[in-house]
Amino acid sequence: MPVKEQFARVWLITLLVTYLPYFLTLAIAGDMSALQQIALFAATVTVQIVVIGIASAVMAVRRKGERVSDERDLAIDQRATRVAYQILLCGMILVGCLMPFNRSGWTIFHAAVLSIAVAEIVRHGLIVSLYRRGWDA
Amino acid sequence: MPKRLSNNLRLMRFLADEMTQAELGNQVGLTRQTIAAIEAGKYSPTLETAFRISEVFGKPIEEIFKWERQNDES
Repeated sequence: MPVKEQFARVWLITLLVTYLPYFLTLAIAGDMSALQQIALFAATVTVQIVVIGIASAVMAVRRKGERVSDERDLAIDQRATRVAYQILLCGMILVGCLMPFNRSGWTIFHAAVLSIAVAEIVRHGLIVSLYRRGWDA
Repeated sequence: MPKRLSNNLRLMRFLADEMTQAELGNQVGLTRQTIAAIEAGKYSPTLETAFRISEVFGKPIEEIFKWERQNDES
């Protein structure tokens, strides 16, 4: 399995197991204090950084001396990033141009985080999918 | 009927002293996995890479890569 695909799988799983509980907690808990929301976000980001960091280190050791990426990896990454960018753009238009008129504070913040998380999940999901089913365009 | 790029890279490697995918990859600047994907028809290389591959085997590009109908593929 290509290194980039392995990395995309790790990212995808990490994003799902961190941001799904994050947004579920926000939805279930209802009103949370600012400190609680900061703590929840910090914990989510910390777990994400630790898991990605460990996975990167393990993969770097395993693949020492081996070519990591080539034109196929770049092409797949560009295609997935292009789709993710559209999602992020829509999310940011919603968050930055529409929500300030009828929402405030933490709601806007969480909507922005949701946009970023969805865009990243789609990006890494697409990368894994394009490696699996192939791509000849 | 849709057309697609097919290749006989596997045969070419076999004829070149059973060259491995990794060896070919190293010579043309690709990973072993990408060579495997090209052989499996899951990825079409860039024109530049196709020329580099043909150069490795010392064959014209049309002997290695073919543009043919899907059901013509053996």
